Amino acid sequence: MNSAVMKKAMYLFVLPALLFYCIFWIFPILKLFQYSLTDYNGYVQSFDYVGFDNFKQLFGEEILGASIKNTLAYTAITVVLGNAIALALAILLNANIRAKGFYRSAFYIPTLFSAIVVGFIWSYVYMPGDGLIASFFAKVGLGGLDTNFLGSYSKALYSIIAVDIWKNIGTSVIIFLAGLQTVPNELLEAGKIDGAGRWKLFRFITLPMLATSVTINITLSVINGLKAFDFPFVMTNGGPGISTNTLIYAMYKMAFTDQLFGKASALGLISFAIIIAITVVCVLTLNKKEVSA
Amino acid sequence: MTNESRVKRLSTHAILLALVFINLVPLLIVLSSSLRSPRNMTNPLNWFNEFTLESFESAYTRMHFPVALWNSVVLTVVSVAFVVLFAAMAAYPMARIKSRTSKFLYLFFLAGLVVPGQMVLIPVIQMIKGLGIPLGQYTPILMFITCSLPFSTFLYTGFIRSGVPEEVEEAAYIDGAGLFKRFWQIVFPLLLPVTVSVIITQGVWIWNDYFFNMVFITKALDAPLPVAMLGFLGDQQNPAQWNVLFAACILCALPLLVMFFALQKYFVGGLTMGSVKG
Amino acid sequence: MKFLKRKTFAAVLASTLLVLGACSSNTTNSNSQGASNNPGASNEPAATASADPVTLTMLVSGAKAAVGEDFELETLPRLVKEKFPNVTLEVQKLPDEQYYTSVKTKLAAGEGPDIFLVFPNMANMGAIEVAKAGYAADLSGMSFWDRVSESAKNDMSYEGKPYAVAKGMDILGAYYNKSLFEQAGITEVPKDWPSFLAAAEKLKAAGITPIVMGDKDPWVIQFGMYQLSANSVYPSDPDFDKKLQTGETALTDEKWVKTINQYKELYDKGYVASGSLGMASAQAMQQFVDGKAAMIFTGTWDLPGVTAAGASEFERGFFSLPGNDAGQPVYTSAATAAGYALNANSKNLEVGKQIFEYLYDGESPLFQAWVESNPSISVFSGVELKNAIFQDVLTNIQETGNAFYFSNQMWPAGVSDVMQSKFSEIIGGKSTTAEDVAKAMQDKYTELYKE
Repeated sequence: MNSAVMKKAMYLFVLPALLFYCIFWIFPILKLFQYSLTDYNGYVQSFDYVGFDNFKQLFGEEILGASIKNTLAYTAITVVLGNAIALALAILLNANIRAKGFYRSAFYIPTLFSAIVVGFIWSYVYMPGDGLIASFFAKVGLGGLDTNFLGSYSKALYSIIAVDIWKNIGTSVIIFLAGLQTVPNELLEAGKIDGAGRWKLFRFITLPMLATSVTINITLSVINGLKAFDFPFVMTNGGPGISTNTLIYAMYKMAFTDQLFGKASALGLISFAIIIAITVVCVLTLNKKEVSA
Repeated sequence: MTNESRVKRLSTHAILLALVFINLVPLLIVLSSSLRSPRNMTNPLNWFNEFTLESFESAYTRMHFPVALWNSVVLTVVSVAFVVLFAAMAAYPMARIKSRTSKFLYLFFLAGLVVPGQMVLIPVIQMIKGLGIPLGQYTPILMFITCSLPFSTFLYTGFIRSGVPEEVEEAAYIDGAGLFKRFWQIVFPLLLPVTVSVIITQGVWIWNDYFFNMVFITKALDAPLPVAMLGFLGDQQNPAQWNVLFAACILCALPLLVMFFALQKYFVGGLTMGSVKG
Repeated sequence: MKFLKRKTFAAVLASTLLVLGACSSNTTNSNSQGASNNPGASNEPAATASADPVTLTMLVSGAKAAVGEDFELETLPRLVKEKFPNVTLEVQKLPDEQYYTSVKTKLAAGEGPDIFLVFPNMANMGAIEVAKAGYAADLSGMSFWDRVSESAKNDMSYEGKPYAVAKGMDILGAYYNKSLFEQAGITEVPKDWPSFLAAAEKLKAAGITPIVMGDKDPWVIQFGMYQLSANSVYPSDPDFDKKLQTGETALTDEKWVKTINQYKELYDKGYVASGSLGMASAQAMQQFVDGKAAMIFTGTWDLPGVTAAGASEFERGFFSLPGNDAGQPVYTSAATAAGYALNANSKNLEVGKQIFEYLYDGESPLFQAWVESNPSISVFSGVELKNAIFQDVLTNIQETGNAFYFSNQMWPAGVSDVMQSKFSEIIGGKSTTAEDVAKAMQDKYTELYKE
């Protein structure tokens, strides 16, 4: 069954997927390396090679540092806060209660909405004056509070991060919940009999059993955070100023508004390097933990 | 049942209900506003103070709902079918063969997960042009398939490795069945749980994607639901337009919500696939 | 949205306006001329060159009409079909940002739409660039140019050949609420900067928000700024932007610093509704029509929005934001609007040209519908000013010639974005100064400008 001929023939099965993947994904990425060294403007088919000018310029500008900082903040907060909330919800839901399915669905529903629709809905929630939060504050007598969420330099980024968490938490809850259900009750009972407290039970029995779910959830949210684009695009136009520019949004803007496709490619490659580095570090660390746990 | 545990249970319910409420409040307000007439401009917080389908009618015609819905269905179904086919096939050798090539391919596909589509848009479209593929209603399918491959092959490979051992093919092998026959008749049916998972995880994002559709589609009436929603972009912060906008939001999400409630257990099962394999 | 990506020259502009004014009494003449020039002008369905069914694609930007028939999405394809039964026009309309992304990507791939929207001169998707790249077809052979104003034609031209037909001319100004002005005791429209500030102060003292701006959509910052630069930069140096190209001057020049400081003053003194950075342009417009603020800065294209019914009934007025010192004349900010172009590489170029002949023939039902749906001031001779609200400003330009183009139309696309994002910092209460804004603009200009 494991003859060499058989194995080679088997690789034919990869071909269709590999073909699509190389033509529409890998090859275009390689093109970015070429464009990053040119002054290509994205739609006039003539350009000159400018060496590493694009990179040099980027390193001298405010936008690179700002968008890296925003992206890292976006990722860190969605990963830590999003997963912490999801885990807490999953633990609550894992209690032996009725209507578990109802609660689970209720948290999952936002996930089904398109980012465009979510952007519309939350633009209303955050709007100063007539928006949901502002009118609620006014109603309960907190009208004096500043409700200019998307228009404030200090709040806009956190406001769109909250939307991201809201939209994606349902998936994480479901994955955690499935993980929790693999924790054998006998083990917990045995722990209790041995006199372990709640925290100890959680730390030494539940958490290790959750290792796979934690890895999956964290990896997915890290990638999601580093690739963040939708909410700056739909809700804030990257503003006010450049305060909600993520790496991908800044790159998009550079390519299509400034018409500096070459420079945008350079930024794309820098983003790519950052995303890969962080993802690899994360996955390796988590895998190590998972094994040792 | 002891009193103590009843109190505990009730308080758990109370906490959960409160959290669910906070979570869903924006959506409930959207629902209540969508059920008002377009002229009703009282504060949305006074919810459910009117019930009419007028705003829905207006949104329905403005976004050409039946056409957009059909376009969404076609795009999603065709894309997902190809994803399932290509990814399951690709995963088969990657899971079965233990060689450097196989390991490389696995990581090669997985690496694609971290590339954002916005980054490669212009080279991609040049590629499409270079291959002589016309832009139009079905062009986004190419990208949907491509972008779905990394995650889908990852799921399939993991499942075959742990859940579909070579032994299942043994009898057929002894009967002299070829590779293709063994894959189609024996392995593929066993992959059903992952297939469900791929359909759900990839189907939801393809259904909701606006980016590739926005760039590739050349005609308003070819656009699927999320792109039809772009027509309302200017209305999003104008209180005078909210009722119709919110009705459009509900219409856009409705098909998936219906699917979700009808097929809930598959959704839940599909999402957790791969997360609890250990 | 980004209507401001246009450029024109004051002198030419003014002269055309004079011509336009003169022509409006001349309707019958120009119509008969149109009929003789255009074989397709009769209302019989005319077959195109070949009667085989053809499908043309069209991509434009803008928001879908909220009520009634949308001209581009519905009326245009319907009327084209009536005239040319074998022609189907497939139209896609996207919001501005999405339009740029989509049309550029498609053009770059050689998959451009047959008809698309082009902006004047050097703007983003500007006529010069689109023509230089060979994407837009040369329209010099068309028969309708003798009825189009010279400046509108020039702004869409490259090396003397026109590549797009402008929708009209747009003017920037301040729409104001006459009732609120009366209530605050303002008896006449301010004519210079000190009197404008005084009027704003009066409104504020009367408890009325003087100005509302939707700065969450940062491009609206241009709407106030270019009206001020038309007064503080160009009158004393009409060739400012030419000198900018040669490096003889820079955006850090005191004229621009003054302009930015003038606009900053409105925010510093609290004349613009607070929290404007969190408010979108549509919401700001709603505040205006609801009578919650006395003024909003925008252009002729927003007339439908600012005259929509709101919570309050009042008469609207329109004037040029006077950035001029006392004793100086007011200059208006006005420029050619965007317009349709034909794809030079289209298989259906001939059919496209026939549609253009019909659309711009000056009398067809399609031309009428186009004029009717279009709030810009027409650049076609024989079309009368539809909206009396613009009469005063228009008359002033026609009589004095005191008008300058929107500044960004002489800048590479991208400079105005920097202006917006830097000025947003001022609105957001950061310590950014006008000098910082000007410097950031100049840096971007240096980076982007190519001979």
